[in-house]
Amino acid sequence: MELFAINAQPSRTITWILSWLLFAAGIGSYFWVARERHRENPEDRVVPTLTQMAQSIHDAAVGSDEEAGHESLGSRFVHSMLWQDTLASAKRFLWAMVLLIPAVLLGLHVGLFPYVGVFFLRFILFFDKIIALSVLPILFIAFGIDELSKVMLIVIGVTPTIILDTFNLSKSVPKEQIVKSFTLGAGNFTVAYRVVLKQILPRILNSIRLNLKAVMLFLFAGEMIAATDGLAYRIALLRRNMGMSTIIPYVLWVALLLFLVDWTMRVMNRRLHPWFRE
Amino acid sequence: MIRFIVLLLFLAGELAAQKPKFTVGWSIYVGWNPYQYMEKSGILKKWADKYGVDIRVQRFDYAPSLDAFVAKNIDACTMTNMEALDMPAAAGVDTTAIITGDYSNGNDAVLVRNGLTLNKLPGKKVMLVEKTVSQYLLERALTLNGLKDQIKRVTLVNTSDSDIATAFITNTSQEAVVTWKPLVSQILQTKGVTSLFNSSQVPGEILDLLVVRSEILQKPEGQKFAKAITGAWYEVMGQMKSDKVLAAIAAGSQDTLASYKEQLSTTNLFSTPQSALAFTQSGDLKQKMDLVRQFCFDHHLLGDAKQVNDVAIRYADGSIQGNKDRVRFRFDTSYTQLAAQGKL
Repeated sequence: MELFAINAQPSRTITWILSWLLFAAGIGSYFWVARERHRENPEDRVVPTLTQMAQSIHDAAVGSDEEAGHESLGSRFVHSMLWQDTLASAKRFLWAMVLLIPAVLLGLHVGLFPYVGVFFLRFILFFDKIIALSVLPILFIAFGIDELSKVMLIVIGVTPTIILDTFNLSKSVPKEQIVKSFTLGAGNFTVAYRVVLKQILPRILNSIRLNLKAVMLFLFAGEMIAATDGLAYRIALLRRNMGMSTIIPYVLWVALLLFLVDWTMRVMNRRLHPWFRE
Repeated sequence: MIRFIVLLLFLAGELAAQKPKFTVGWSIYVGWNPYQYMEKSGILKKWADKYGVDIRVQRFDYAPSLDAFVAKNIDACTMTNMEALDMPAAAGVDTTAIITGDYSNGNDAVLVRNGLTLNKLPGKKVMLVEKTVSQYLLERALTLNGLKDQIKRVTLVNTSDSDIATAFITNTSQEAVVTWKPLVSQILQTKGVTSLFNSSQVPGEILDLLVVRSEILQKPEGQKFAKAITGAWYEVMGQMKSDKVLAAIAAGSQDTLASYKEQLSTTNLFSTPQSALAFTQSGDLKQKMDLVRQFCFDHHLLGDAKQVNDVAIRYADGSIQGNKDRVRFRFDTSYTQLAAQGKL
């Protein structure tokens, strides 16, 4: 029996079949449940059928046919609920990602420069343990309830992890290398940016990739607390009237977007650092 | 000997298991908090035993309780008339209101800062939980003041009810909010905040009900359950004059007696089956439900309904509002009637 052999080498066909099997089982059982529920209650909205979802996707992505008139499909998509929500969320997401850059730099300095380290490290270690969602009232006072507070919720939730990770990574660079760089005539900042940062950057990018889901989690929390647009705003609203036929496609759409961001970062990482192997 | 005891226990377990089980979901609200007291005080058990059923009471957050009811995980649930219409009924789950507990008589309110007036609301941001009675109240306020065509110009900021009070109190630039008690009372303590409109100006439009799935009432054990819970409800209602009972009810939802009494003062509780009957059987109810169902339809809350009549309502007198073959929501006063006649 080869099934539990560590040295087993499944063939291409078997690999393909096995890797898709759980997807098939999940999709299959979903539609089986949907059919059973609709047999009992044809108007069921909890587990929508494919037709219901297709209709909802159509309405969300290009608007309803009656209202649209003669507009082209492209412009209908640009004005659609789905696209407008995606843009609103994407803007917040990008701001949060931009604000991760200073976090990385801070982590690097904390790791390398002892004075910066003693100043920040203890506080960041403490700050990292604060559950951002539980201090929302403070966030509201400090940053209002508009865009800023949503971005800050993400920043407060995710940056301590990134700072501490960068700190650990910069500590992991062998001391000998740094000493050697100095003897070769490098200055402090050359060592920091061109020796240490350069070689830990691919690992930092991987760490950010792993934290994408946390970023998204905080973004969703923020949009569900108070918002006028955004993907999570829509999901929160649709929950009020059991709009599962739109919620499920929205969730899959978010998964797809997140996958694409992750994939782009992976490709970018490989392009920028072809020497990096993990 | 031990074998005998085990056998006895087993048999006892079997017997207990044969009692039909029903679960009631409730969420924290002045008119629903008595359900917890009903269970804790043993009143529910007494009535359940009388009718030979087993009734469990479970607390939920409001939205999840609706989800659980629609998914048929629980048999009965507390909800407003509006949610009964746009959640279970619109999702094809035939729903019957068996207890009309109260109506909001000031519990829901539109609050503003800096003496803002209704005609200045268009163009401003208003914080509220969208697609709920809050939005309904805001639209009614504007409509009753001749501002119906301005409704679209108000920007709604969908704000979770768990954060709406702090979000409004801490943001002095935010000028208007619509929410419900006890949040309203907390917000009103803030300097410069006044109430512009409240649900006592639209009495009887926001009802707090106990609903069950209609299919349950078609079975004899389901009817027993309905009788038991109705009997227990009015027994609790009869005790609501005593401060001791009110304090126990308040404590059950982490509230104080003073605060609970304050909320009761803006709640029109139907404390006798007779008063509930008079309201639920009156023609007024139909007009009020018509406003609510129109609101639900206008905001696409009635699911796939192509017209408002696709989610029809059947009243206690047998009359039907909407398409006769699409009745999804019913008012059934027969159990309250039995209570009024002392036949439970």
